[in-house]
Amino acid sequence: MTSHTLSPEADTRPTTPRPSSDPAAAPTRSTLRRATKSLGTVLLCLGVLVFVLPFVFTVLTSLRTAADVARSPLGIPHTFTLKNFSDAFSQIHYGRSALNTLLITGLSCLSITVLGSLASYPLARITQGWSTWVYRLFIVGTSVPVFVVVAPLYLLMRDLNLLDNYAGVVFVYTAMFLPVAVFFYTSFIRSIPTDLEEAAALDGCGALRTFFTIILPLLRPITSTLLTFVSLQVWNDLIVPLVFLQDPDKRTVMVNAYSFIDPHTVQPTTLFPAALLGVLPLFLIFVFLQRHVVAGMSAGAVKS
Amino acid sequence: MIHRRRATMAAFLLPAITVYAVFMLYPLGRGIYLSMTDSLGGPIAHFVGTEQYRAMADDPDVTAALWHTILYAAVVVIAQNGLGLLFASMLFRRPKVRKALSVTLLTPTLVSPVMAAFIWSYLFAPDGGINALLGLLGLDSLEHVWLGDTSTALYAVAAVNIWMFAGYSCAIFLAGYMSLPTELLDAAAVDGANGWRRFRSIEWPMLAPALTVNVTLSLIGSLKVFEFPLVLTNGGPAGSTETLTTLVYRNVFGGGKFALGIAISVLLLVTVVVLSSATSSLLRLRERRI
Repeated sequence: MTSHTLSPEADTRPTTPRPSSDPAAAPTRSTLRRATKSLGTVLLCLGVLVFVLPFVFTVLTSLRTAADVARSPLGIPHTFTLKNFSDAFSQIHYGRSALNTLLITGLSCLSITVLGSLASYPLARITQGWSTWVYRLFIVGTSVPVFVVVAPLYLLMRDLNLLDNYAGVVFVYTAMFLPVAVFFYTSFIRSIPTDLEEAAALDGCGALRTFFTIILPLLRPITSTLLTFVSLQVWNDLIVPLVFLQDPDKRTVMVNAYSFIDPHTVQPTTLFPAALLGVLPLFLIFVFLQRHVVAGMSAGAVKS
Repeated sequence: MIHRRRATMAAFLLPAITVYAVFMLYPLGRGIYLSMTDSLGGPIAHFVGTEQYRAMADDPDVTAALWHTILYAAVVVIAQNGLGLLFASMLFRRPKVRKALSVTLLTPTLVSPVMAAFIWSYLFAPDGGINALLGLLGLDSLEHVWLGDTSTALYAVAAVNIWMFAGYSCAIFLAGYMSLPTELLDAAAVDGANGWRRFRSIEWPMLAPALTVNVTLSLIGSLKVFEFPLVLTNGGPAGSTETLTTLVYRNVFGGGKFALGIAISVLLLVTVVVLSSATSSLLRLRERRI
């Protein structure tokens, strides 16, 4: 009885009394154990609270007036105002920059999933020397930090006239995240039995049609996992748009926030609403797609 | 028939390989070449061999940045995974609160590094949240100019990194916990193994794959850190939070030392590849032994 919550399904399973070597001592030991466990739960909740506190503090502070915050930073807000948000909104040109970021994130996600899934099909199915060699070449890319290529990429973009061009940024993100996409898709396709494809081939179905009618529909779960990961990375990224998009009309949320707001001179009542606006779209996605997000962030990693 | 099918399938690779070769492999190769020239970013570049690397070895800024990067990574890897494991082991034993709390812990992961740095730069400010909280608790003596003191700045920056990703480590460890065979844990409980012994002799060895993933991911992530030191301290005070990435950025785009910056970026690549592959092969070796 004492440790029946050990297994994940235990709370739904009937518990069976376990033999105890010392019946007299059992009640006190189990009370003690339960007390320790409750204490642990309290500590655990406190620990989690410490991680959430910065958010709570950020939200509360952004709803207060600057004078009120200056008087007592940790005080409870008396009057609420949304003026800070409208100030931050115009300061980082939120409407325009959020649209830019959305466009870049959307196009990058599209190009990464299309190119990645197409490339992974032959890499998973052809077991010849050159195929493993190409696969390895892609995997090498997972450990190349973008800083290693950023300077030569800048020269290349300049020569190709792709600076200040959304297409250039989308190409960079595609190249950056193709290794992850290839890794995800290849290992997933390898786990699909080949029977269906062989039957399709016997019926005279070409490789292209086989891919679109048989393989692609099966890739949906792994695609949503991949998309969560990629959209999070692209939306939040600073360095790529900072270097490759200098036209003020094309800048992203993160670049505008970085260039217009100096966190060391700006009041928290300007700083925090700006931070919340930058995070807001992802939080909305998180609320609606929570299951996929959690899977996208943890499941993918364990498989590697 | 089969051969034609193979050829069509191989053609599927072309778009991906083209983009990858032009925007990743070519810049990588050109970067390594440029690090052996005196290029300033313009059309003129003379081959100078290992001159940039020799200049780099004599540059105290570079050796300091390399040291900061490695120290930062060590602090983040140990603290982030330690916290993640602690949370995961506690959550695993409490199925009722497990889901809600682990999702809550993941929320900081969604915040972009720039935005997290915004929030924490105020919390760390001399008149900011943390000092106000310490004052409130009567711990005035612990108040500190967290980001303005060379002895605490790097750790303060690392704390933001740990805050963001401890929930991520926890989620991976928790996934590892969920794959433990229940019979084994039940058997240990019947045998009367207490909390610590059960953790030490059953859970810890069986969590080896999750540990490998966690350590490798957090190591690569923290060696590549950029936004936190850039926004929180801009490399200061007195260069105490200058990492390899911020140094690359400064040299390539600001300082007229274009080729030196590229040479530092090659040093970053070597550091990441050597440390991460050494760590992950050591951990995999350990997995096999268990």
